[in-house]
Amino acid sequence: MPRISIYQEDDIPSPMRKLWQAFADNPFALMGLWAVTCLLFLAIFGPWIAPFSPEQQDPLALLLPPSWDASGTVEHFLGTDDLGRDIFSRLLHGAHLTFGIALAIVIASLSVGFVIGSISGMMKGLKSSILSHLLDALLSIPSLLMAILVVAVTGPGLGNVFWAVGIALTPQFVRAIHQAVHEELQKDYVTAAKLDGANSIQIFWYVIMPNVWETVIIQITLAISAAILDIAALGFLNLGAQAPSPEWGAMVSQGLDNILTAPWTVTIPGVAILCSVLAINLVGDGLRSALSPLRN
Amino acid sequence: MARYLLRRLNLFLATSLVLIGVLFIATSHFPVEQQYALTGIESPTTDQLALSRSEYRLDSNQFRQFIAYTKQRVSGNLGVSITSQKPVIDELSQVLPASFELAIVAGILAMSLGVPLGILASLSNNKITQHSIMAITLTGYSIPVFWLGLSLSLWFGVELGWLPISGRINLLYEIEPTTGFMLIDTLLSQSIYRSSAFLDAVQHIVLPAITLAVLPFTVVVRITRAAMLHIMNEPYIRAAEARGLHTGTIVLRHALPNALIPVLKNMGLMLGTFASYAMIVEVIFSWPGVGSWLVSGIYQRDYTVIQGGVLAVALIIIFFSIFIDVLHNAFNPITRKEIYAAN
Repeated sequence: MPRISIYQEDDIPSPMRKLWQAFADNPFALMGLWAVTCLLFLAIFGPWIAPFSPEQQDPLALLLPPSWDASGTVEHFLGTDDLGRDIFSRLLHGAHLTFGIALAIVIASLSVGFVIGSISGMMKGLKSSILSHLLDALLSIPSLLMAILVVAVTGPGLGNVFWAVGIALTPQFVRAIHQAVHEELQKDYVTAAKLDGANSIQIFWYVIMPNVWETVIIQITLAISAAILDIAALGFLNLGAQAPSPEWGAMVSQGLDNILTAPWTVTIPGVAILCSVLAINLVGDGLRSALSPLRN
Repeated sequence: MARYLLRRLNLFLATSLVLIGVLFIATSHFPVEQQYALTGIESPTTDQLALSRSEYRLDSNQFRQFIAYTKQRVSGNLGVSITSQKPVIDELSQVLPASFELAIVAGILAMSLGVPLGILASLSNNKITQHSIMAITLTGYSIPVFWLGLSLSLWFGVELGWLPISGRINLLYEIEPTTGFMLIDTLLSQSIYRSSAFLDAVQHIVLPAITLAVLPFTVVVRITRAAMLHIMNEPYIRAAEARGLHTGTIVLRHALPNALIPVLKNMGLMLGTFASYAMIVEVIFSWPGVGSWLVSGIYQRDYTVIQGGVLAVALIIIFFSIFIDVLHNAFNPITRKEIYAAN
């Protein structure tokens, strides 16, 4: 339906509303957003929803298949593992660990990366290149190697995953924010603000930052999905979460013993990881494509 | 250009030094005696003790110790492995080619499938084709690699029984290592079972290579598509169209070389993730490469193997990321403007 213009002025949407409209036009991105919201809800309230405790063993229901199988029961919706623990409850408790820790890691590395990246981005010459290149050395150490080093020093555990993945993610934030700030600094509107007599803190916060937030948001979605995959991979290798923990990657590795007789103990946690990472990536992708016409 | 190369060399040396520094600090925090962590000799004789004390200058201050440590590691003295009591550098030279073989095959697989699919995705106007390609790549990007490897080996290795799921070659074949690359070694060997050994090696590499190729494949498809979409709207492509050139010529000769430049750049950024994935794939498929060696090293708390492996892998990644950066500049004259403008 063509829009009837009664008044001379058009209602000009704010950048945030434009972004939301472009984002909401993409059904996949909206689906991802719903999934991420649900995941967030489960990560916070999962332990209360779960019908069983994650460690509760039911000796009468060992390796029970999921409920849609002929021999499955509805009490154990997604089946049980070799100790008779309910997989659905473990998944809900695991969401708390996998997704919650991923968020915590991203927030911590974002705040460190933001400070270093913006300082090095605002500076020029040698100082800036030392700050940013020093972190390139850390960026070149993959998160798995970092985890191996951390585990070698302190021993395995979920707390060490925090350090290993956090140290591996921080340089990515530094690099992204450094580049974004550096690029904006070259532009004419910054020079104009400088000529108006703005000092460097004002330039940074009021002039440059509004244009950098987009990069930061995109980087956050990338980092959350990378962090979930890393946490799960470390749990799978037994370097992160340890055996009874319902962390999703650790659940996959605990199911490995029974993979031939009870493949669902491996498949279901894997699908959970896949779905949550996919949802986050859908949101990130939707944001990126919604932002790109606004930026150009 | 010389000045630029010199600066990159400088960067390589500086980052390597920082890396060795990180390793040095980590080594001094390992929960064992420092000498044991440095040399890996389980019950050293008095002579060996004195030798390692003087080699690593354990009596001087931290800075001197760091210099001595750097000297030893750079000269190739990585100590002996705590579990096997063999020099770490020998073990490293055995496992590195296997990892390179896997990485190269996976990289070729990803490039040879990813670039055409990316071009296809950018050229097609069909919504369904576009959406399905994007859906596949996004799923491939989100899939946890250990789970993918397990599922593939369960399906193709166990259920269907098509492909072997562990190791590089059947133990029946005895292949003299010459290059360390199993695919080349089997062809070079003089044995009469040469061709069947080669076939066996190919069968062994299929599943790990496919598992490892999924991540770079999806990234290559996405970047190629984005770059092609951008480039096909450039004026020089329209000029070529106006001259009446064939679409195939325009895409392959005019657009593709420029579209591959961002692909190259992203390959450099992806190296770290790729290495992590390669290590996990090696563990799942028992591929005797540096990744499974390192992971078994951490299970056994083999501190010298950990140091040697982390140092080698990280140095290789630093080297290749700088090398790709240099290549990127060589192929892309636009970035040179920035370099010269900065000087």
